[in-house]
Amino acid sequence: MRYTARKILTLLVTMLVVSLLTFAAFDMISGDPAATLLGTQATPEKVEALRTEMGLNRPMLVRYGEWLAGFFTGNLGVSFQYRQPVQALLGPKMLVTLCLSLVSFVLIVVVSLPLGLLSANGKLDGLHTFLNQFCMAVPPFFTGILISWCFGICLRAFVPGDFPGLDRNLGKSLVYLFFAAVSIAIPRVAMTVRMLRSTVISEMNKPYVRTAIARGNDRRQVLWGHVLKNSLVPTVTFLGQTMAEIVAGSIVVEQVFSVPGLGRMLVASISSQDYPVVEAIVVILAFWVVLSGTLADLVNRCIDPRMGGIGK
Amino acid sequence: MLEIQDLHVKFHNRDREAVSGVSLTIQDGEILGLVGESGSGKSVTAMSVAGLLPRKQCDYTGRILLDGQELLHADRSVLREIQGAEIGVVFQEPQSCMDPLMKIGSQVEETLRIHTQMPKEERHQRALAAMAAAELPDPEGICDKYPHELSGGMLQRAMIAAAIVNRPKLLLLDEPTTALDVTIQAQILEMLKKLNRESGVSMLFISHNLNVVRKLCRRVAVMQRGVLVEEGDTDQVFYHPQHPYTQKLIDAIPTRNRKEERP
Amino acid sequence: MKKRNPYLTVGLVMTGILTALIVLGFFWTPYDPNAMAAGPKLTGPSLAHLMGTDSFGRDIFSRVLKGAGTTYGIALCTVAVGAVCGTVLGAVTGYFGGIVDDVLMRLGDVLTAFPSILLALVVISLLGPGKTGNVILALGLVFIPSFARMARGTYAGLREVNYVKSARLMGASSSRILWRHILPNTWSVLLPALTIGFNNAVLAEASMSYLCIGVTPPDASLGYMLSESQGMFMSAPWYALGTGLTLVWMVFGVGLIGEGLQRRGGGEV
Repeated sequence: MRYTARKILTLLVTMLVVSLLTFAAFDMISGDPAATLLGTQATPEKVEALRTEMGLNRPMLVRYGEWLAGFFTGNLGVSFQYRQPVQALLGPKMLVTLCLSLVSFVLIVVVSLPLGLLSANGKLDGLHTFLNQFCMAVPPFFTGILISWCFGICLRAFVPGDFPGLDRNLGKSLVYLFFAAVSIAIPRVAMTVRMLRSTVISEMNKPYVRTAIARGNDRRQVLWGHVLKNSLVPTVTFLGQTMAEIVAGSIVVEQVFSVPGLGRMLVASISSQDYPVVEAIVVILAFWVVLSGTLADLVNRCIDPRMGGIGK
Repeated sequence: MLEIQDLHVKFHNRDREAVSGVSLTIQDGEILGLVGESGSGKSVTAMSVAGLLPRKQCDYTGRILLDGQELLHADRSVLREIQGAEIGVVFQEPQSCMDPLMKIGSQVEETLRIHTQMPKEERHQRALAAMAAAELPDPEGICDKYPHELSGGMLQRAMIAAAIVNRPKLLLLDEPTTALDVTIQAQILEMLKKLNRESGVSMLFISHNLNVVRKLCRRVAVMQRGVLVEEGDTDQVFYHPQHPYTQKLIDAIPTRNRKEERP
Repeated sequence: MKKRNPYLTVGLVMTGILTALIVLGFFWTPYDPNAMAAGPKLTGPSLAHLMGTDSFGRDIFSRVLKGAGTTYGIALCTVAVGAVCGTVLGAVTGYFGGIVDDVLMRLGDVLTAFPSILLALVVISLLGPGKTGNVILALGLVFIPSFARMARGTYAGLREVNYVKSARLMGASSSRILWRHILPNTWSVLLPALTIGFNNAVLAEASMSYLCIGVTPPDASLGYMLSESQGMFMSAPWYALGTGLTLVWMVFGVGLIGEGLQRRGGGEV
């Protein structure tokens, strides 16, 4: 219980620090939002009036506090580009990215866990290594282009560049996201298989496995009864990181497949220097990353009773 | 009951044979001590008996007979029937030799789960009895603990309990007390003696410490560089060593003890 | 170490070929990479145009040579920045310890939890997108924490080792201990990490350029060329294939070198 509480506290503190850093960085860099909002109509008096109206003359920490309060009550500021509240812009996009991430995650888990366990017999080491390195070398956007061509244009499984929309056609949207997820998943599957394989092999060489064999377990019983549970902790940690990496992958892959998600919005907003939107997306994604790490820690705590005393 | 005939083991990645031509016998209900410095091949001998040799990484010849059944070249499936059922093994470092994520209770019961059709409740009772025989205090409570929650001595007792729960004929003890401090070491030796007296289980006790072996075993065998250099009655070996290596081992025991104990 | 290590050999050969081509591309390319109508438009691979031409009639092979050079160069600079700054930072904080060490490493823990591309995007958006210098700076900054963490681990571990203690007793200065006594011991960890860092840098740069917020024309970069090629995939699939496979070749080769180094160093498989 104390472990859980401490982890959640760490999560909150981390988020606070990350959001403060983000806020401060964008506050310094983004210039004067009042001037930006007024654009060509800006006169010194008008800018000054708007600054006072927007509360920009107050100290940064106060504004940070307000922004943070806004973040939790669903008020993320106004986009420079679209002149719309940020939360209205991001809401539907978040859902799309969440779907894409979950589909990718499920895909990675479903494919890599059996493959990792199968490959853990220690045979064909060379082939595994070459295949692994190759898969890790294929960038998601290149796979994405190939998949769009092969499955989209040749096999007509989906129409590249035409995302149906989750609310309009859920089934077709999921098929569309599935192909995007494949290109995110390939390098991560390779990494997960590699990690799982080396974990299981190294666990197999531990002394407790010898004890288990001396008690009359066969190979299968050793693997399922003992080694698997012991391999689970590093695996869960790794999957937590995978969750974070998927978000990164989705930024690029959304662009390849024209999926209207957070990542695509982020890239567009960076190009147009739409700072309120960038800021909000960065904090949302950061929260996602930190949250998946914490979740992995909490799951591990249930698996391994030794954690909690010394765990970081 | 156990007969090792001319055992040779050579690992592929070593030049020298780990065990070269060892022959030993253990009678029913006997405790045989096997002494030697590290690397003398005593553990490899025990591992061969327990069927734990990494078969692909070594060459082995000879015969190991347990009540007439050949073990060294036996099929893995045959071996599995014997491991845990007829031969129990206790290793040196209990902290790393117990599965860290499995409760003590399940680990003690494991051989029963594998080798018998016993119902759950009976298994539990047998486990409790074995733990009591290994002189673990509060067996019921310890069942629910994980290895990291126990001290080294307690864990070693748990490991002994796990080894004897299925009432094997032979117990292999590979330096079971080396990692423990002296008082606990003495307690465990006493407990093993009692176990041997009461259940009649034969034991092969491996140690580099002649003094420990002397407390427990009537008969002792001394190994050096894979060869059996001396074998015989413990007192005989202790007071009238025939081989210079045995003499060296005896000299390595702190002198004060030896003089005091000498009649 | 008599065991065969094909990874290192294959990786070195692959990377060697690519490096030679890139160096060649600095001095000479078959055609001017940016010249329109260097040949007929949209022709497939042939002897005259090894990777064909695009819809403007530019020679793709020449463009790939230049683009790979840009990507390669940026990755090298990035890794250099990250590795040097990170190792120095990690070495100093790890060796001396104290509260600065604690704070910096906590920060490093948090930062390394973030995917590098995400951090790089944040930094790029702060520095302003579309400039090569900013890309190097952003990626370099992003790679500092991971190198620092690694160096710190080695240095903090070796601080208490006897031969370092004895060097200290003999009056060696801290900088000498850091430089002469400990640094050589970090190579076995540092070298594979350099290859991994290089690959991450290549992929991150390519991603950013693909997203058009990294290197922008007139500098060619593999990532930007891929985004360009996506539009003409129907008419000139060889453009995307040539560019993409070059990128895969680059990362695959260096990845194999890393694998080989790791195995030679006796690290985990």
